[in-house]
Amino acid sequence: MAHSKRDIMQGTLDLMVLKTLETIGSLHGYGIAQRLQQVSDDALYVNQGTLYPALLRLEQRGWIASAWGTSENNRRARFYSLTRAGRKQLALEEADWQRTASIMARLLGRGEEPAQ
Amino acid sequence: MNLRELASRIAGALGRGRSDREIAADLAAHRDELEAFHLRRGLTAEEARRAVRFELGGEVQALEAVRDQRSLPFVDALRQDLRYGLRMLRRAPGFTAAAVLTLAIGIGANTAIFSVVDAVLLRPLPYADPDRLVSLGERTRAGDPERVGYATFIDWAARSRSFESLAVMRSFQPTLVVNGEAERLAGVRVTWSYFEMLGVRPALGRTFTQEEDRPDAWHEVVLSDGLWRRRFGGDPTIVGRTVVMNDLPYRVVGVMPASFPPLISAKYYTAAEIWAPLGYAVGVGDSCRDCRHLRAFGRLRPGVSAAAAAAEMTSVHEQLRAQYPTQYEPGSVAVVPLGDAITAGARPQLLLLLGAVACVLVIACANVANLLLARSELRRRELALRVVLGAGRRRIAAQLLTETALLSAIGGACGLLLAAIAMRGVSAVAPQTLPRLGEVGIDLRVALFACVVVIVAAALVALAPIRQASRDDLRGQLAVDSRTTAAGAGRVRALLVVADLAIALTLLAGAAVMLRSVTSLARVNPGFDPNRILSMRIILGGRTYAEDPAVRAYQTQAIEHLRALPGVAAVALADQIPFGGDFDCRGFHVQGRMKPNAVDDPCIQRYGTTPAYLSVMSIPLKRGRFFTAEDGETSQPVAVVSESTARLVWGTADPIGSVVRIGSAVRGPWCTIVGVVGDVRHEDLAAPPIPAVYMPESQSTDSFLVALVKSSSDAAALAPSAIAAVRQLDPSVPVYGAASVAALVNGAIGERLFVMRLLAGFAAVGLLLAAVGLYGLVAYGVSQRTREVGLRLALGATSREVLRLLLSKGVTLLAAGLAAGVAGAVLTTRLLGSLVFGVSPLDPLAFGGAALTLVAVAVAAHVIPAIRALRIDPALALRHD
Repeated sequence: MAHSKRDIMQGTLDLMVLKTLETIGSLHGYGIAQRLQQVSDDALYVNQGTLYPALLRLEQRGWIASAWGTSENNRRARFYSLTRAGRKQLALEEADWQRTASIMARLLGRGEEPAQ
Repeated sequence: MNLRELASRIAGALGRGRSDREIAADLAAHRDELEAFHLRRGLTAEEARRAVRFELGGEVQALEAVRDQRSLPFVDALRQDLRYGLRMLRRAPGFTAAAVLTLAIGIGANTAIFSVVDAVLLRPLPYADPDRLVSLGERTRAGDPERVGYATFIDWAARSRSFESLAVMRSFQPTLVVNGEAERLAGVRVTWSYFEMLGVRPALGRTFTQEEDRPDAWHEVVLSDGLWRRRFGGDPTIVGRTVVMNDLPYRVVGVMPASFPPLISAKYYTAAEIWAPLGYAVGVGDSCRDCRHLRAFGRLRPGVSAAAAAAEMTSVHEQLRAQYPTQYEPGSVAVVPLGDAITAGARPQLLLLLGAVACVLVIACANVANLLLARSELRRRELALRVVLGAGRRRIAAQLLTETALLSAIGGACGLLLAAIAMRGVSAVAPQTLPRLGEVGIDLRVALFACVVVIVAAALVALAPIRQASRDDLRGQLAVDSRTTAAGAGRVRALLVVADLAIALTLLAGAAVMLRSVTSLARVNPGFDPNRILSMRIILGGRTYAEDPAVRAYQTQAIEHLRALPGVAAVALADQIPFGGDFDCRGFHVQGRMKPNAVDDPCIQRYGTTPAYLSVMSIPLKRGRFFTAEDGETSQPVAVVSESTARLVWGTADPIGSVVRIGSAVRGPWCTIVGVVGDVRHEDLAAPPIPAVYMPESQSTDSFLVALVKSSSDAAALAPSAIAAVRQLDPSVPVYGAASVAALVNGAIGERLFVMRLLAGFAAVGLLLAAVGLYGLVAYGVSQRTREVGLRLALGATSREVLRLLLSKGVTLLAAGLAAGVAGAVLTTRLLGSLVFGVSPLDPLAFGGAALTLVAVAVAAHVIPAIRALRIDPALALRHD
């Protein structure tokens, strides 16, 4: 069964948002969604019902902050940016993810052969 | 979820998070940008909107998801349920009012009665380690623990090892004169270690020392907080000062705190407000083994049970009896926990009332369950709709539970309010003999009890509709029309109504049996006519009245003064009167008929009276004569006996002319019996008259007197002028306790009256609730069958046939309720026990009356629905939905 586009693990989305904000700096919700879509070559459409609770959660945990601003198209929008705690958290999660990914890669690369 | 997130979500739940508007604006901005982007790409407006919707999902759902993240979802749900529940309750004011009122009555009545039970029975006595305190008494052939003599008490203390300390007390009623105004005080004299035994400390000064508890020196007193404030203005320098009582100086050594309730003296004498040392010594004064007039109390050593102490004391009693065979009867020593001794009389009645009031609560819960069930049937469509719209079953159950809890909370709050009012009523009608009544009040424990009752009630009540809601296939309900009822629900409701009726009938029967008991008790002839007699008490104490002639002179003058008042028909004096709470049983030794051991001679109630006593009290003279003015101090000593005394002592022989000694068998004058009078009941209308002997005041004077004033009209109205007349004679003589004799006699049925009134109240409430339940069920049944009735009427059925159809169910319910109720009443009225008087606990009249009342109320509950059914217009009914 094919994975639905909306089916992203919570932790994964958190990491994606944090990384996006680190790369680009302060960004509004639309910008974050667009960026994720671009980077994934249109494979990832993030539903508002998923993205915005995640943004609020990250803010509640103190990893990002938000403030009203004006978008490049002159619209009022809320801009999200990484906090110092968020940077630390990102480093942590990045390392975590790398480790998981390498384990997965090794595991999947060897097919079904048992580990030695 | 980390701590920061939790904190901000709690803040969110309290309404302090980001506002809905801000979130919505953020979401909208996102959508606008995306839509603009798509428009720039060349999509039409319609296509752009659709693309946005596809990519971002529903805006409402997104907002809802952010809201969930903002706060704690279950708090939001609860708040929502509460808001919704309140709205539902507001929308059905009739249902809400009925349910709240029903719960309030059930909870209020239970809280009120529990408050009384708690204060009287459950709360430990307010003394140190109260479970080690006991009362002791010699248990003789008669069975009840008796008072003891001082010499016995000293031997008990010396020969037993079960007690940490022992104490005895006797009554003490000194006349206090402050600024020329005399007042008789209620007090007790106690052995010096009494307060230590109870583990209480004075608020000021100290209690007694061993040196102060001697015959030659007991002139110290301890005051109660109340007396100290009332008569001495709360003077903080009172300790060490001297007060004059009975012309003697007493030194105040201490004041007890307001928190020290004189429960022991209140039980056996009158609540004490002054204490003095007992001042006894073996061999001096009234200290003999035979002088049984002291009440004994003790504190058990830790780990010693009352039963073990009783066994030890009984063996001590046997030793003493072997040593002094003429002074002790075979028997045992009763050792009873003090709390039990104080509340023993009240326990069965209060437990009975607690049971009755619990019945009311059961009826109330059944009724509310019934109301909720009926309502959930009406709401089945609404519930089904909510299920179809996506509400989870658990969510619906939570909603119903919230609604029920809300009802119970409102009912509970109203109930507490009602309890506060009811408790005043209960205290007002409670007999004064109920111990610790002053301590009754809604306290924390009672409030807690009320909460437990509410929660249990809510759980019981909520059970019904929730099971209903989850059992039904709600989705199917949408297709079904609203007229049909689930058969199961109907059965449950019918059962609940039958239970209501049965319990109501049980309560009714209990109340009816009590009513019959009280009426037959009120019809008992006390042996005298208590109407239009005022009684008041006088004490002739101190040096002025130390000699008999002074007492006689005062008596003569007092009678003259009272006789001179307008509206006075006759005046008599006596040392005690029936139903006056007095007791003066004396050995009755007939010359030539005395038992080998004088202890075995009968004990006869002795009344010292003036000649007018017989006519004032309207006691019939049976034979011989009563006293006259000729019977004086120098003439032949005489006595008059009651019929039961004559029967007891002389059998069929004539007592007139016999010679008796009253009190002591070896001392005092021999009195000649000159007459026989009718019997009187002395303290209990339910008990047979006890034997009595009358002696003329002129030959054996008393210092404690009761003045009886026969009025030509109302006795109570005479009180102020009568008191003034006696006071005028000698202001230093205390005059107190003015009461009509009729009121004293009525006081004797107070206990039963109290139980009867409360039972009748509970029965009325139970009946009303049961009637409401029955009415609800019948009316609901009729409304459910409107179309059917219309159809039948249209097809030519007579109204009689329709009525039979509609009411047959009610008749079945009533019959079932009656049967179950009679069975319940048969099982429970015997619990009334000794409160029942003059009728059987299964009195057919009481049972019949109760059943008839229930039937009448049930018929009334049917009338309105029946009339409504007959007024149904067939044409309208067929279109009824």
